[in-house]
Amino acid sequence: MRTIAVQHLLCRLPEEELREFVLAQRWYGSKSEEVAHVRVVDAFPLRDQIEPLLAIAVVEVRFQSGMHALYNVPLGLRRSAEGFAEVDGWTAFDALEDAELVLELVGLIRSQASVEHEGGELRFCTVDGVAEGPEPAAVRPMGSEQSNSSVVLDEQLVLKLYRKLEAGVNPELELLRFLTERGFPAIASLEGWAAHVGQPLDATLAILQDYVPVRDDGWTLALRDLEADGNGFSPLAHRLGEVTGAMHSVLASDSTDPAFAPEEPSAEMLALTVARIDEEIEQVFGSLPEDPALEPIAGRGDELRDRLQAIGQSGSLGRLIRHHGDYHLGQVLWTEDEDWVVLDFEGEPARPLYERRHKRSPLRDVAGMLRSFSYAASASSLERGVEPPPGWEGEVRTEFLAGYLDEVDASLVPSNGTLERRLQLFELEKALYELHYELGHRPDWVRVPVAGILQLLDEPE
Amino acid sequence: MSEAGRWFESDPLWFKHAVFYEIHVRGFFDGNGDGMGDLRGVTEKLDYLDWLGIDCIWLLPMYPSPLRDGGYDIADFYGIHPDYGSVEDFRAFVDAAHQRQIRVIADLVMNHTSSDHPWFQEARSSPDSPKRDWYVWSDTDDRYPDARVIFVDTEPSNWTWDPVAGQYYWHRFFSHQPDLNYENPEVQDEMLRVLRFWLDLGIDGFRLDAVPYLFEQQGTNCENLPQTHAYLRRVRAEVDANYPDRVLLAEANQWPADVVEYFGDGDECHMAFQFPIMPRMFMALRREDATPMYEILERTPSIPENCQWGLFLRNHDELTLEMVTDDERDYMYAEYAKDQRMKLNLGIRRRLAPLLDNGRDEIELMKAILFSLPGSPVLYYGDEIGMGDNVFLGDRDGVRTPMHWTGDRNGGFSSADFAQLYLPPLMDPVYGYQAVNVEAQLRTPTSLLRWIHRFVELRKQHPVFGLGTYEPLQPSNSRIFAHVRRWEEEIVLCVHNLARSAQAVELDLAQFAGLVPEEMFGQTRFPPIGELPYLLTFGARGFYWFRLVEETA
Repeated sequence: MRTIAVQHLLCRLPEEELREFVLAQRWYGSKSEEVAHVRVVDAFPLRDQIEPLLAIAVVEVRFQSGMHALYNVPLGLRRSAEGFAEVDGWTAFDALEDAELVLELVGLIRSQASVEHEGGELRFCTVDGVAEGPEPAAVRPMGSEQSNSSVVLDEQLVLKLYRKLEAGVNPELELLRFLTERGFPAIASLEGWAAHVGQPLDATLAILQDYVPVRDDGWTLALRDLEADGNGFSPLAHRLGEVTGAMHSVLASDSTDPAFAPEEPSAEMLALTVARIDEEIEQVFGSLPEDPALEPIAGRGDELRDRLQAIGQSGSLGRLIRHHGDYHLGQVLWTEDEDWVVLDFEGEPARPLYERRHKRSPLRDVAGMLRSFSYAASASSLERGVEPPPGWEGEVRTEFLAGYLDEVDASLVPSNGTLERRLQLFELEKALYELHYELGHRPDWVRVPVAGILQLLDEPE
Repeated sequence: MSEAGRWFESDPLWFKHAVFYEIHVRGFFDGNGDGMGDLRGVTEKLDYLDWLGIDCIWLLPMYPSPLRDGGYDIADFYGIHPDYGSVEDFRAFVDAAHQRQIRVIADLVMNHTSSDHPWFQEARSSPDSPKRDWYVWSDTDDRYPDARVIFVDTEPSNWTWDPVAGQYYWHRFFSHQPDLNYENPEVQDEMLRVLRFWLDLGIDGFRLDAVPYLFEQQGTNCENLPQTHAYLRRVRAEVDANYPDRVLLAEANQWPADVVEYFGDGDECHMAFQFPIMPRMFMALRREDATPMYEILERTPSIPENCQWGLFLRNHDELTLEMVTDDERDYMYAEYAKDQRMKLNLGIRRRLAPLLDNGRDEIELMKAILFSLPGSPVLYYGDEIGMGDNVFLGDRDGVRTPMHWTGDRNGGFSSADFAQLYLPPLMDPVYGYQAVNVEAQLRTPTSLLRWIHRFVELRKQHPVFGLGTYEPLQPSNSRIFAHVRRWEEEIVLCVHNLARSAQAVELDLAQFAGLVPEEMFGQTRFPPIGELPYLLTFGARGFYWFRLVEETA
């Protein structure tokens, strides 16, 4: 069989068609920037003898500003048929739209293939001890994603591609692998992954994980409960607390792995956190627009800063661990087995990768979920016109926290007297972020963070 | 690096919009409780530095050394001083800093070694020693008579007799710091090996100490020689070829026209300190007259696109007055070193806050001017909280005392016994650690520390300060220092009142007619600029930074 120089072909794809293709993709994340050029700067041949050919192309989008972004784009090439660009009689197309090529990628992972390439290496790996299933046949796109692309195989597996290339291990791969290897059940277990190692950068390209058949996500369930009579969600919240606590305990369970070993916060950590939040209050309150929804908190910035000093006072912060990082009701699924599964361990997508890998207090996850309950209650009235039953949010909170404290390793969180204050601290941080965000994007929703902040202001000290 | 490496670039010009922070490892934080700061200690404080917003840490020399010159007397280029930890600690520190996107550069003294260095010991032992020619020897002490003596307080000559060697050896600094002989290709190669060793450990660059003095030549003052520049180009080529995104920062305490030579054609050092501006800022403040600053900036030649000035108010050395006239020096001594003890060599050994009589307005004004100038600012540890100094300690130790972290014992610097500390922390009622410390200032929203944090953040949000033009306005009121910075679409107007009294100034801003000044801290809009002179009024030592924006925006 003749070997085709796939890399050579892809690097010469006509720019105009490539540009049109890339800029139209959902995963293309710089839609507001002015593009100078788009080109394939490198390509890793994965199948260069049998048609369709397959390669992972590294596509560079260079902006007028001089900055650039790099994307992970698996491309197929065939002699005829449809594609977005032509070169030397070959047509290039999106490999994820071709079942045969998707299966090829899965096969490479399962066979732990490795492709050496000019100082670097494309490495396909499997998780130790995970049994592989039968060879899949049917492939369908998962849809609904932004920065990644996923395909579902036989309703059993998901192949998820990280599109934007960033130097460093993707936290999702890191966390899923850690949790899978330790048998944590409430996740879609990892089977394998693909990464680039060596020059010019170490980067995660894709993961292969279980597909979890889902009834609903937590958000939908909470809203449905609110629409009904509002007393069915509490036991689920309790269970969610348990799952969350157990997850944190597992994530903190290996002190020999430097990426996961729990750490004591530095002496200044609490004060630095408080100072940071204090400045956020100053900023947000310094430029509050005129808006009736803001009235309850308008002019109360200094009061809030005083309150912050009170809840940020000395006392423990607990320990710092790897955690979910972007935890809310939309990230947890209620499965057909009647239990929760936690999804999406990528952390806050807007933050740089190195930051998403930092260890922080697990209470940030807890605060994220508590704020999410508050959002659900408000969404019920805002979107569906259903006022939440009195006490709904309070009860759900209590149940979630009770479940959490039952399961979490007690050494990770501050003891009882301080715990409440630290939670308030992280909830305030979150609410300020929400306020900032909603003011810019969804003025109708401003009342949700306003209510959260108000609660803190009016709470007896 | 492979072919493929070329498409991955991070930020080759990062140093042009970075804020640097200078750390004396011994004085920062004691991680093992032995009374001396160490690398583990600095690692523990990375969260603080991350919060402060600095982009790059500059470490004073951390190599094995007899410490007769604060570590600038290196006895082993390939190790870490045992007081500070190990090479492994260093690697862990650099990794931990990188995890926070903080870069690390370190001092490297290429010009000389400690007299304790095995190379020198070997060299002096016999005229036939293979290391003999690594240093500069002479049978007489009258060669290179035109080279000045730098440490005039302690050194009578650049030559010192070595009874063991039976010859004089050459040294531009202390007599315990013999100069390496760069005429010898082995020395040149060895120093490149040293650079590679640390670059391979992950370091992001070097502050090259005392670079003007590498070579000597009869009939010259032995400074800034062409051979020296040629060698620096070789160093740069090595770095560019194998270590992208690194930086070489030259310490060349010279007049601007000589300093710019260290940038070459963008093929020597990436950065060099802007020494002469610094004393003139202090002078301008005292005289309430911006003229000395305008003058020195006017005399500062432009530099290649890929280069940058390093700016500072104070550092670990004395406030150097080498680059001023004799009259100016007398003035500076009279104004800033009223006590004889405050003088050292040709300079003043004091920290920023005491130099400015602890005036908050003065400190803010000086920081504002510094941050507004073209270049990357370098903060000296402790100055962000307004630490004081101790003029009763010898040499430059007075500005190298332990950092004040808390109001607790030893200022939170160390858990060792007080008597065990390498230097006593300050304990006086004004600058002592109970009054001035990180913990208290973090908690106080109006503190200097919190102000500087916001200030660093503001500067970093506007690349114009690192990358933009400098266009002096020089208004008729000489108490006002006003200039414009411009980069791409952004125009920034910086106006500073050097006077102790309220001032008014009329600025000719006709070229910006139609634009609206927006104050950068509070985003307050001022009246639009018209064809007539633009009137601004200031409180004592006040300043404004404006973005000039479209009226509709």
